[in-house]
Amino acid sequence: MTLLPFLLAALPCLYWTQGVDTLPALKEAGIERVCVPPDRAEPWKAAGVAVTPLAPADLAGREALLVPGITARAGLASPTRVPWVNANGWRFRRAGANGKFSYEVPAGKAALAAAEASAYDADVVLQIDPADVPALGQMLAFIKQVPPADLPDVADMAVVDDDSPITAEVMNLLSRRNLLYRVVRTPSSQFPLNIKLGTKEFPVEEAADPSAFALKIRRLLTDDKRTLRVYGSEVVVCRVTGDAKHMRVHVLNYSGRDLFGLRFRLRGAFKQTEAYVSSTGRVQLDDQVVADDATEFSIPRLGTYAIVDLRP
Amino acid sequence: MDRRTFVRLLSVAPLAGTLQAQGSPESKRAVPTLRVVSTFPPARQPGMPGPYPGTVINVASETCVDTESNAANAEVVREMLARGMCALTNEKEPIDAWRRFFEPSDVVGLKVNCGGHPWCVSAPEIVTEVIRQLGAVGIPPTQVFIYERFQNQLDNVNYTPHIPEGVRIVAAERANAYSENSGYDPRIYVEADLFGEEDTRSNMMQLVSRRLTKIINIPNMKDHGATGVTGCLKNIAYGSFSNVARTHARGVSHTYSFVGALASVEPLRSRTVLQIMDGIRGVWHGGPFARTRRYVFYPKQIMIGTDPVAIDRLMRDIVENKRKAEGVLSIWDRSPKHLKEDDTNARDQDPNVNILIREPEHIEYAASLGLGVADRSRITVRDLTV
Repeated sequence: MTLLPFLLAALPCLYWTQGVDTLPALKEAGIERVCVPPDRAEPWKAAGVAVTPLAPADLAGREALLVPGITARAGLASPTRVPWVNANGWRFRRAGANGKFSYEVPAGKAALAAAEASAYDADVVLQIDPADVPALGQMLAFIKQVPPADLPDVADMAVVDDDSPITAEVMNLLSRRNLLYRVVRTPSSQFPLNIKLGTKEFPVEEAADPSAFALKIRRLLTDDKRTLRVYGSEVVVCRVTGDAKHMRVHVLNYSGRDLFGLRFRLRGAFKQTEAYVSSTGRVQLDDQVVADDATEFSIPRLGTYAIVDLRP
Repeated sequence: MDRRTFVRLLSVAPLAGTLQAQGSPESKRAVPTLRVVSTFPPARQPGMPGPYPGTVINVASETCVDTESNAANAEVVREMLARGMCALTNEKEPIDAWRRFFEPSDVVGLKVNCGGHPWCVSAPEIVTEVIRQLGAVGIPPTQVFIYERFQNQLDNVNYTPHIPEGVRIVAAERANAYSENSGYDPRIYVEADLFGEEDTRSNMMQLVSRRLTKIINIPNMKDHGATGVTGCLKNIAYGSFSNVARTHARGVSHTYSFVGALASVEPLRSRTVLQIMDGIRGVWHGGPFARTRRYVFYPKQIMIGTDPVAIDRLMRDIVENKRKAEGVLSIWDRSPKHLKEDDTNARDQDPNVNILIREPEHIEYAASLGLGVADRSRITVRDLTV
């Protein structure tokens, strides 16, 4: 019972302006909670729905998020087939627990937006195309199916946030490469690598090309020291939380299509695994290998979102 | 859960001399470190270079293909293969030649090349005859797999009407969409960070590592924008591993080392026991594709051997000589002035355009890994005419 408030907080709230006559559609989709304009709250409450009144001004005051997904990079010959990924994880990380966000997404994007918000435990209000109600309901049901876990973020480095747009872009590109970082205000002695723009090691001018800058950071860290590696796609962004006894990997697939046999390498020896994949449920991981103080496994078929729990 | 793995590092150094002689910008020759990981130990007698290193049987026939219609003559092809196999093995009868390599319990993969559809692919006439000979050895069609990486390429070529019922046509991915890895073995790969890509692994097809016992490599004679030419080595290497397009971009081709490195990974190296180079047709520019007939030519020959390096060494001369005859840029050209990076349209329009600095010396690098003989003076060629 004590986990319920945490669970609800992690779920994005559907902002719903339609009348209570749409309740059957929401119920059929399994959506049990909505955010509505205050003047429309009463009928929903009377209908027995968990309602959070949300004034238009409060909605507008939330940080607007990108529509998650991918964009092909026109004019760029790309043999590695790396499209641009629109992901919001870095925004959630940067804002921390006090961040309040909103999505306004077109049809086909509600499930990914909900997954992204949930993966980062973000306080999110979600405005969707009504046609996406069933897909959103399925994603929320999937998220609720996974045992909750309140685990700290795992990071391999620190990024000193100076609130500048260029630091924001660096965080974005680090996230995009699954380079795990903690956002700090001053350099942290916990990490051998602190990224502080404007220093001799990290001149601002270098960060003008955030992708190259992220690559420089990756090479400073070295791949061997990275907590997480992903093989088989470059349209997947992960969040890793946990400690020595329990690691959780959130896997977000931005491509809009299923990915097969995606391979992961996580530092540390973990013999017990539990994996959950949206639209599939609990699945068995393939080809798990524990060697060299690392654990490798494959997700047979990845839809929009997967959560993998690992224990020693 | 835990299985022994064999790891080796290939720290590549450029071959001295030749590149400088071509007047190339040496800075374009990148030399990455490659980490080879396999669950299979090195074989004592690997299939490449096999029992006939440095030996190539070259069977030519003026009548093997009608250059007007592009149609091959199945009867002539059959005779070319029979004569070539007997010459390679010093056997009198083809059946005895094939028995040198195969036994009834084998599960055999035919690595075809479909990239040159519609004009230059592994000829169905060769594929069919190989399957027939395997049947004569006692290998039923159900133990024969025709394979490529991409199913849509196999579908385009459509071997089905030509082959016996029961032969499987198998690919690792439906198309070149970089979304399907289930067909690859997660425990066998070459790892390298070439351009800063996040996905640094190229994995071997599971068909190769888990199902096949023997492989017959059936490539074509083709020009290639990244490797200079593509033949035995490139077909078996890039056609059996995932995520290989990452090796060439922005004018730079890491194929110099990557082709040989992939071909040397066990068990691919051990299981690839026979090379049948389909030179009935060829491509002298724009390869590996043949979207237009403009760059198709007709070498009218089939090379047979167990040494992929030796065959490719000869094939490289054939393609280069054809380009010379056409009066166009050498595959060895490394001049930036002919380079239009990644502009395949310009390359397809103009045989004097390169999209990358090509690496025809990948053949010599493969030789340095022990895959065969690249030194022309040490290659024995036996010419036959049908």
